[in-house]
Amino acid sequence: MPESEVLATRSGQRTAAGPSLKPCMPGVLLAVPAVVLVTVVVGGGSAMVAAQSLGLMPLVGRPELSAAAYTAHGGDLLVGAGLSLAIAGTSTLLACLVGFTAALIIMQGRWCGKLVAAMSTLSVPLPHIVGAAATGLLLADSGLLARVFGAAEGWPAIVGGPWWVAVIFEYAWKESAFVGLVVAGTLATRPVDYEETAALLGAGRLRRLRHVLLPLSLPALMISGTIAFIYSFGSYEVAWLLGRPYPEPLPVMALRLYNSVSLTSRPEAAAIGVITAAVSLGAALVALAFLRKIPLWR
Amino acid sequence: MRQGLELQGLSKSFRGAPAPALDEVSLSLAPGSCTAVLGPSGSGKSTLLRTVAGLEIPDRGSVLLNGQDLAAVRPERRGMVMVFQRPLLFPHLNVRDNVAFPATIRGVPRRRARTDAESYLELVHMKGTGKRAVTDLSGGQQQRVAIARGLAARPAVLLLDEPFNALDPELRSAMHDLLAHVRKKLHPTILMVTHDHDEAAAVADRIALLHAGRLLQHDPIDALYTRPATLQVSRLMGGTNEIPGTVKDGMHYSVLGAHALPADQQWPDGPATLIIRQEHLLLVPNHSSGSLAVVTGLRSRGPRRLITVTAAGVDLHAEVTPSHALSIGDSVRVQLPTAALAAVGADTAPDTPPLTSPDWKVLA
Repeated sequence: MPESEVLATRSGQRTAAGPSLKPCMPGVLLAVPAVVLVTVVVGGGSAMVAAQSLGLMPLVGRPELSAAAYTAHGGDLLVGAGLSLAIAGTSTLLACLVGFTAALIIMQGRWCGKLVAAMSTLSVPLPHIVGAAATGLLLADSGLLARVFGAAEGWPAIVGGPWWVAVIFEYAWKESAFVGLVVAGTLATRPVDYEETAALLGAGRLRRLRHVLLPLSLPALMISGTIAFIYSFGSYEVAWLLGRPYPEPLPVMALRLYNSVSLTSRPEAAAIGVITAAVSLGAALVALAFLRKIPLWR
Repeated sequence: MRQGLELQGLSKSFRGAPAPALDEVSLSLAPGSCTAVLGPSGSGKSTLLRTVAGLEIPDRGSVLLNGQDLAAVRPERRGMVMVFQRPLLFPHLNVRDNVAFPATIRGVPRRRARTDAESYLELVHMKGTGKRAVTDLSGGQQQRVAIARGLAARPAVLLLDEPFNALDPELRSAMHDLLAHVRKKLHPTILMVTHDHDEAAAVADRIALLHAGRLLQHDPIDALYTRPATLQVSRLMGGTNEIPGTVKDGMHYSVLGAHALPADQQWPDGPATLIIRQEHLLLVPNHSSGSLAVVTGLRSRGPRRLITVTAAGVDLHAEVTPSHALSIGDSVRVQLPTAALAAVGADTAPDTPPLTSPDWKVLA
């Protein structure tokens, strides 16, 4: 075989082998540590909690498959699940509304947009427990606002009241900053010309909002909204600090049972954890199913 | 009431910019006409279009459509549509719904809006693509859909901001044909921005030449090439031959001798520069009549050749076919056909310095 053909063949082999092996392998190898870590922590943790809730990892006695932990607080569990869903759903809805509005203001690029962006950026890293404490100090009947307005007697039960207003307010405030920044980040990658094009095609402000800006923001809004919902549904500190003692949202109930003096309550806490995780996973799957229907996502 | 689009003394400055983007621009467009706004980068072409569309507010001047001042009219109510360099099709809508967008937001029932959209897609030769995602289309197809969407809004004026700039030459030529087809069918008034001379000549009836925010000339295409108002216009249109001299009684006198100017126009007496396009300058054999010249430069331009000759100390440039077998140092005669001549007075001296050699980029 002539030398040039040999070189060509070798070159061809390199080319053929290259795309299938060389560029892919380093990427896979780089992802391995993260995949292993996530699998061990999330998968292992979830499996242990599920096993404990099903009586397969008792503190004392023989392992025995049982659904007793799920039925031990049947009524309270349902009420707690409904309450958690209501708090998380309402606060997420408010967060999306406020966050989307904040994103539109940020996108205007004027001084008020920069102010909103700065406030949102400051709000996001603030821990929820600090936010909850601040909300309590602001909205409680002995809080700052009640003192400023001198209405301690007639001040509504915002903190610890029957409507969980302070809890929803805190989640909506914190998560709206998150939603706002995510949506603004997405809109920033879309040219302003889309809005100008729509305007020149005859769309007024409201129609541009409905027919252009909202659809363009929808994937980001759904993703950030789902994250906000799952967080609000699964975190305990805000409801624990600003809510009523009874009924309890699921995370507060799980925390109480886990910290109970009776160690036999731990499977019940684990069962609530499993239910919380299942609902969160369901919410993520529903969001993903909706996202798949959006042409922009496809 | 005057019909069509009229711009009166439009001026626009941007904060921090050393010079105004638009400086007293006045322009009239007849209904159904197509005017190309031509000019180098930064000359204010896009600002002019955006100001007409209402996306920029002018510092002074007004935009009138069929006699109505549009100063207080929002962009969505001006009856104007702009097609940008990027098609900007809405990514959340398919092809058909993009074209149906103007009707949908007008409140037309969706079914009828979609039926109308199909007819506009057919007009731009995109029939049968309605259900496709816009991301599945090529750049040229997307621009066709963008034009269909613009036409579906039934605008009084179609504003085109370098819409074919990103397309390859073949596709661009096809889009020019499409625009001619659309003009024939719908007769929209078109104001199109471009920096491509050939494109302007291919699609427009008239050219408005803009430089540094000022309108230099607004005339039919031939006039800009053969009867430029100033030396600057001549240079911006790619003209390279300038022979200083004097005009007296319709004749131009220079070192190349006396040349009669076209009789269809009055030529004021006084110092003037004789202008002739390089395409019109004739190089003939030595034994013919004309000014004696020596070939000093040759450059191939594909099917054409650009020849530089020096006659009586003046450098002249001629674009000829390759059949002219010339070499550097050859002697030739130069003829300046009367019909192709124009004289520009000394009072119209340009801001830009004269060219010492052909501007090859402009010629390209």
